[in-house]
Amino acid sequence: MLPFLKILVRNIIKGPATEAFPFGETYTPKRLRGRAELDPSRCLTCGICSHVCAGGAIAMTESADGRGMEFRLWHNTCTFCGLCEHYCPANAITMTNDWHLSHEQSEKYTCCEVQFVEYPVCEKCGERMLPRLHQRLSKGLVGSVSTAEIMRICPDCRRLTSAMHQIKSKVSLTAGRSNS
Amino acid sequence: MHKYLKRFVHKSPWLYRINAGSCNGCDVELATTALIPRYDVERLGCKYCGSPRHADIVLISGPLTTRVKERVLRVYEEIPRPKITVAVGICPISGGVFRDSYSIEGPMDRYIPIDVNVPGCPPRPQAIMEGILKACEIWKKRIVEVA
Repeated sequence: MLPFLKILVRNIIKGPATEAFPFGETYTPKRLRGRAELDPSRCLTCGICSHVCAGGAIAMTESADGRGMEFRLWHNTCTFCGLCEHYCPANAITMTNDWHLSHEQSEKYTCCEVQFVEYPVCEKCGERMLPRLHQRLSKGLVGSVSTAEIMRICPDCRRLTSAMHQIKSKVSLTAGRSNS
Repeated sequence: MHKYLKRFVHKSPWLYRINAGSCNGCDVELATTALIPRYDVERLGCKYCGSPRHADIVLISGPLTTRVKERVLRVYEEIPRPKITVAVGICPISGGVFRDSYSIEGPMDRYIPIDVNVPGCPPRPQAIMEGILKACEIWKKRIVEVA
């Protein structure tokens, strides 16, 4: 009888559903994909982020003096898809949960994430070279071998290790099959 | 009477949406900011209106496709001055994922002066509210200039 009374009481107890947002805080999920950020100390300058970027937001340009690579991400054409974060082999790009990106027209072209990734110097001759991979790679496998491990050794040994890994995985596969 | 009204008019800007070939994602978010009590843009005195002739703040979504360009410009002309334009989503700002496509007439600010940009694909309802608040502030200034 009179079911609306129940709803009325429930609504009074629950309080308003409206968020306080423009005047107070709002709830932001931790994993919300917002503004992307680059940590230049981890970047490998491999350029996979600009390759996979859906909106073409990332541009990487080498500086004229060869000192390093400039990373420029224009937030105004970023779709927050997170592909750059997913494909980054060094975890250098992260999607923060910051969504406060609205800005006036005068700031349209300055609404960028700009970072300069400096190339390390060779200890012997002082030439600039690409960032040291084994220090920065943190995820990803080449076949079954971790990329971080394989980058520390010379190409010949690299071939040998991955061959050994393949043999091992083949052996364990066939062993597993024969057991079942 | 006119002067008297001008003291209050900045407190309730009316919003008008233009879909310039949007994929509907931003339009859903725009509807969300107004229709869902959780966000409720009407607290700020804003109200969606059906006619461009009643509008104060224009919210444009979509990358301005070739087919819709003439219509958008025609509707935009009908909005009384001073009008504040808010570009919602990355499409009107830069073309977004459709940039350099054969059927896209390019970023919106090539044809329509934009005041506030709200990037996102689509932006959060809260981000849109933030943009609308920025637009309200610009509108307050502009209405004094016109008066």
